[in-house]
Amino acid sequence: MQSDETVLSLEAVTKRFGGLVVLDGIDLVVGPGELVGLIGPNGAGKSTLFNVMTAIYAPTRGKVRFKGKDITGAAPHHICRFGIARTFQLVRTFLTMTAFENVMVGAVYGSGGRVRHARDAAEAALELVGLSAKRNVTTAHMTLSDRRLLEIARAMASEPSLLLLDEPMAGLNPTEIRQMVEVIRRTRSEKGISILWVEHKVDAIMKVCSRVVVLDHGVKIADGTPVEIVANRKVIEAYLGEPAA
Amino acid sequence: MTAMANISWKWAAALLTVILALVPFWPGALDSYLFSFLFFVFIYAVMAQGWNLVAGFGGQISLGSHAFFGLGAYTTAILWSGNYLWGSLYETFPRIYYFDPVTMVLSGLVAALAAALIGLPLLSKLRGDYFALGTLGFGEILKVIFVNGGDFTGGAFGLVTPSSTFETLMPHYYVGLGLTVGTAVAIGWLMRSRYGLALIAVRDDEMAASANGINTLKVKVAAFAGSAFIAGIAGSLYSFYIFHVGPDSVFNLDWMLLPLMMTVVGGTGTVLGPILGAFIMYAVFDIARIFVPDYHPIISGLTIILAMLFLPKGLVRKILPMSLARN
Ligand SMILES: Nc1ncnc2c1ncn2[C@@H]1O[C@H](COP(=O)(O)OP(=O)(O)OP(=O)(O)O)[C@@H](O)[C@H]1O
Ligand SMILES: [Mg+2]
Repeated sequence: MQSDETVLSLEAVTKRFGGLVVLDGIDLVVGPGELVGLIGPNGAGKSTLFNVMTAIYAPTRGKVRFKGKDITGAAPHHICRFGIARTFQLVRTFLTMTAFENVMVGAVYGSGGRVRHARDAAEAALELVGLSAKRNVTTAHMTLSDRRLLEIARAMASEPSLLLLDEPMAGLNPTEIRQMVEVIRRTRSEKGISILWVEHKVDAIMKVCSRVVVLDHGVKIADGTPVEIVANRKVIEAYLGEPAA
Repeated sequence: MTAMANISWKWAAALLTVILALVPFWPGALDSYLFSFLFFVFIYAVMAQGWNLVAGFGGQISLGSHAFFGLGAYTTAILWSGNYLWGSLYETFPRIYYFDPVTMVLSGLVAALAAALIGLPLLSKLRGDYFALGTLGFGEILKVIFVNGGDFTGGAFGLVTPSSTFETLMPHYYVGLGLTVGTAVAIGWLMRSRYGLALIAVRDDEMAASANGINTLKVKVAAFAGSAFIAGIAGSLYSFYIFHVGPDSVFNLDWMLLPLMMTVVGGTGTVLGPILGAFIMYAVFDIARIFVPDYHPIISGLTIILAMLFLPKGLVRKILPMSLARN
C-alpha cells in the first residue's frame, strides 16, 4: 500500500480505554527526512498516539509499520533498537546520572547495534544539543530546559531514523524556546532523520514544519502544509470551540 | 580533586582490610568477644550488600532476604548431612564439606534460581508493592515448606551437621572478611559496567529505560537473582558456624530487617554504605542486647529513627563527596 520510502505508517489505529475512545481510526504517514508537526487541543490523543507507536500501549485495532515492517506487538525495549527514539511530555531523564551517562544509555542500549563506538556517539549527541560543557553535571541539578535537551541527546545517541518529540517546549522561556527550535532544525538538517513533533506552540510548528497533522478528540481532522492548516475550517473550530448553532 | 579523594578512600579501605586480616594474630584475639563480633558484622555486611544491589542500586524493594539466606543455609546443611556431593570421598575426608567452595556456590545458586523464578512474575508488574509483599510472602511460605519437609529438611527442628569439624573461628572469620571485600569489589565493578548503567536507569525511570532499549524485566530479575546469590552464600557461611539449621533461625525475619536497616543507615545505593552500616548498627544492636537486654528493641529502634531523621541519605553520603559516595 505505502511505498518503500515510508518511514512510519499508522493504519487505522484505534485506542480505547474502557469505554473511552482516545484514538479513532488514525492513518498517518511520515516519509524520510520529513519534519511533521502534530497539534491538537488538550486531550486530543497526541501523547497516546506516541505511546501506541512506541508499544507502551497496544492499539485496540490497527497497525503500526516502521520501514514497511509491522511492529504493532513488539516489546517496548525493541522499538528504540528498531530506530524509533522518543522524548516524553513530562521529562524523563535519569536523575542520579550525569548528562553523559544519560546519553550513554541511548548509545549502548538503544541503538540495536547501529552504534559501534558508544562513547563517540554519546559525545556527538551532547554536542548536537549544546550540552557538551555540562557532560559531568548530575541531571537532578539541571534546569528543565537542559533536561529537555538532554532527552533529545539521549534519543539521538541511539542514531534513530525517526525521532518522536512530545512537547519539547513545554515550560520553557522565550530564549530557551528559540534555542530548542534551533536544536530541532539542526537535528533534522545534520542527521537527515524524520521527526514527528507534538507541540502546543502552534506558531513554532507552522514556522518550522513542512507538514502539519491535527488531532481532535482522537480523530485526525487535517493533514497538510501549514498554509492549508491555518485556513482549515475544522481546525479553526477545534481550536476556537464549536461555532454557535 | 575528587579523583585524589577517591584514591585515598580506596587506600583507607585497603588499610582497614589489612588490619582486619591481621586481627587473628593478636594474642588472645581468637577467644575474644571482638572476634565473633567481627564475624557477625561480616555476615551482616554481606547480607546488606546483597540487599543493596537489588534495592539500593536497582530500586526494587525486596523483603525476602531471609528467604534466600535460609535457602543457602539449608542447601549447605542438606548437601552435607545427606552427603549428596562427595560420595565415598566423604569417608576418607570427613571435613570435605566444611567450607567446601562447591557447596557454598551451589547454596548461592539455589537461592539465585529461586529468586529468578519468583522474580519473573513479581517484577513484571510495574508496581513495587507487589514485589515487596510477594518477596515477604515467599519467605513465610518457604518456612512452612521446610517445617513440613520430613526427613529431607528435618522438620521443625531442622538439620544438624557434624560439629566435630569445628576447631576455631578462624576460617569463618577469613571467609566472612573475604566475602565482605569480594562482594564490595564485585558490585563496585558491576556498577561501573554497562549492566550498572542499565540498573541505575531502571531505578531512576523505568519507562525511560525501556524507551531507550533496556529490557527492564531482565535487568531487574538479574539484580534480584544476584542479590539472592549473595544472601545464599552468607547463609551457607552461617550454616558452617551454627551446625544446626532450623526453620525458625535461618528464615528469621531479622535476616531481612537488620541488613535493610544497616544499608539505610550506611547509605543505600553506595558500595561502602552497607559495610559501614553493618559495623555501626551491629555494634548498637549488640551493645544494647548485652547491657540493656530489656530495652534492646527500643534502643535499636531509636537509633534507626535518629539515623533516618539526621542522615536521610545515609552516613556514607554525609562523609564522602556525592560523586564518590555512589561508587
Ligand atoms: N492510561 C489511560 N487510561 C485512561 N485514559 C487515558 C489514559 N491515557 C490517556 N487517557 C485519556 O486519553 C485522552 C487523550 O490523552 P493524551 O494524553 O493522549 O492527550 P494529549 O493530546 O497528549 O493532550 P495534552 O496536549 O494535554 O498532552 C485524555 O482524555 C486522557 O484522559
Ligand atoms: Mg500529551
